Amino acid sequence: MQLNVNGVSRAVSSPPLTSLLEVLREELAVLSPKHGCEQGGCGACTVLVDGEPRRSCLLPLAAVGDARITTVEGLGAPGDLAPVQSAFHDRYAAQCGYCTSGMLLAAHALIERKGGPVDRDEVLDALSGHVCRCTGYVKIVEAVMAASRGQVGAEPIEQPLAPEPSQPEIEIAGSPA
Amino acid sequence: MKAVGARLPRYDGVAHVTARSVYVDDVRVPGTLVAKALRSPHHHAAIKRIDTARAKRLSGVRGVVTHEDVPNNVYGHLEALGIPADEPLLAENDVRYRGQPIAAVAAEDSDTALEALDAIEIEYEERPALFDMRNALDPDAPRMHHWGGVYPHFGPHNHRRVRKGDVEWAFDQADVIVEGVYRPQAIEHCPLETQIALVVPEAGGRLTIYSCTQAMYFSLGVVAAHLEVPLNRLKFVGGTVGGGFGGKVDTASETIAALLALKSRRPVKWRWTREEEFLASSTRAPWHIEIADAVTSDGWVLGRRTVTLHDSGAYARFSPYGVTKHAFHHTGAYTIPNLRFDGFVVFTNRVPTTAMRGFGVTSVSMAVELHMTRIAEVLGISPWELRLKNANRIGDTTANRVAMQDPSTVPVTLAAAERVGEKLGPEYAAMTADRRSGDLLPEHLVAQQAPEGAHVLGNGGGS
Ligand code: FES
Ligand code: FES
Repeated sequence: MQLNVNGVSRAVSSPPLTSLLEVLREELAVLSPKHGCEQGGCGACTVLVDGEPRRSCLLPLAAVGDARITTVEGLGAPGDLAPVQSAFHDRYAAQCGYCTSGMLLAAHALIERKGGPVDRDEVLDALSGHVCRCTGYVKIVEAVMAASRGQVGAEPIEQPLAPEPSQPEIEIAGSPA
Repeated sequence: MKAVGARLPRYDGVAHVTARSVYVDDVRVPGTLVAKALRSPHHHAAIKRIDTARAKRLSGVRGVVTHEDVPNNVYGHLEALGIPADEPLLAENDVRYRGQPIAAVAAEDSDTALEALDAIEIEYEERPALFDMRNALDPDAPRMHHWGGVYPHFGPHNHRRVRKGDVEWAFDQADVIVEGVYRPQAIEHCPLETQIALVVPEAGGRLTIYSCTQAMYFSLGVVAAHLEVPLNRLKFVGGTVGGGFGGKVDTASETIAALLALKSRRPVKWRWTREEEFLASSTRAPWHIEIADAVTSDGWVLGRRTVTLHDSGAYARFSPYGVTKHAFHHTGAYTIPNLRFDGFVVFTNRVPTTAMRGFGVTSVSMAVELHMTRIAEVLGISPWELRLKNANRIGDTTANRVAMQDPSTVPVTLAAAERVGEKLGPEYAAMTADRRSGDLLPEHLVAQQAPEGAHVLGNGGGS
């Protein structure tokens, strides 16, 4: 069958019940989605399917059909970063980077859907179920809010966008996949 | 010093946000086999028989290894530091924790590898298991380690000791004795990238090892020692780690993947599942810490007795080192001149424990800070002033007799007080880290002070 990945139609021959994660990584060498848990619990494998974030570890190839798949490779490249990528870089929202692909795509989908500034609660909602073991989430949330406001680029950041939360608020919820 | 105070971009930031960073799992080598491990289903059992014949005959299976295939099966992570080895790479006579690897296979795909694991026959004889470190020293505790209940190689002792000053005197002088028990628990590092290695046999006999290790040269040494090959036969590639937090200091996946690569003469990748990571990877150690302090009613801590149990899990790994750090830091940010410390590395049938952020120190710091607050409550005095009074000062000596040159307890405590709006008495508000003098040099603290300019007074071990 054909798979539409980042605007390019690619022929794939994996069996229909192979997970999309496996097909992307092993057959097509699209490596931005990561194996974090393969159980829908971490978000590291997130890709966009027709613009909506989905967990590719739980999605069988057969269920994808001719939907448009977007991965980080399709978001932007060095020298041509999407706003959300710039904001993550500017604001140190990626530490080890392993959760970053999933975070970026879920954030990008939120910003596209909203079409304007997103608030803190909307970010927390969109990123719930995305686990990050490094950052403590604060910088990730700030980066998504900044990206939605177009506040990206090289100029130094004067002050944090969001008031510091009084306590960590990311809820590790079940899989939205 | 242009970097200090400047806002510098991460050198790997663009690569991370464009997913160009290459983690071990992203390295593509054609013909790579999938590795899987057979792990103990029991917490403690004797192994009576291992039969891999049927697994080896399955089509698609390219390599099966057990302890028989390891040139040097028992090698300790800290053997190079004189800490003897106790842990087999692949279990031989017994298993001592659930999840301990016994055999591993390399196959063309993961289904075949899992089928091969099912085809391996192992006969166990289950034994009673020990989970609570507090029972390890009981005469009737299940015996699970060939060294006994505790790690026995601290010089002539079976535990790490600190003896400093005259602790009997301190307890005789005390107005109050304040006791506390503190029990920080195990924590799984849970990196988003599970343990992973990819080993590629090269023409000419070298192995290229793509590793998620946090400790490259350390892992190089461990793999070479198990395989009994010179270091120059191994080429380690690493540097991009998907989270480690201490858990990737253990050489968890490289050696077994290397054995399978040698056996199959094919590249082999071993990526642990999330379940394996939770069940079988090492954790931060649980501790049991008992403190008794001899204190005066005006808040001087004259002496401390400490007994610490460090749950090492089934094997020693880094625990003797962790308990040594724990011993050196067991007075925390404070100076207590009379000490008696006994720290035991206890074996239980849990996963071996390991380094994690501040290994050995965070546990005792937590205990010490809670204990200082408890003392203040018992005495009915300000916890701030109690801390400042006993704070480390220039010239004070640590538990292991190192003279402090630039201790930060006083400035940090004062800064914290200011931030939360805590009003301190004028003599405390004016304190500095300077050498003790005048009113702040009570007799019991004179003896422990190092002469001006001294650095190390005694040997570091304290035993
Ligand atoms: S790998 Fe898919 S949610 Fe964790
Ligand atoms: S940056 Fe490491 S898990 Fe999020």
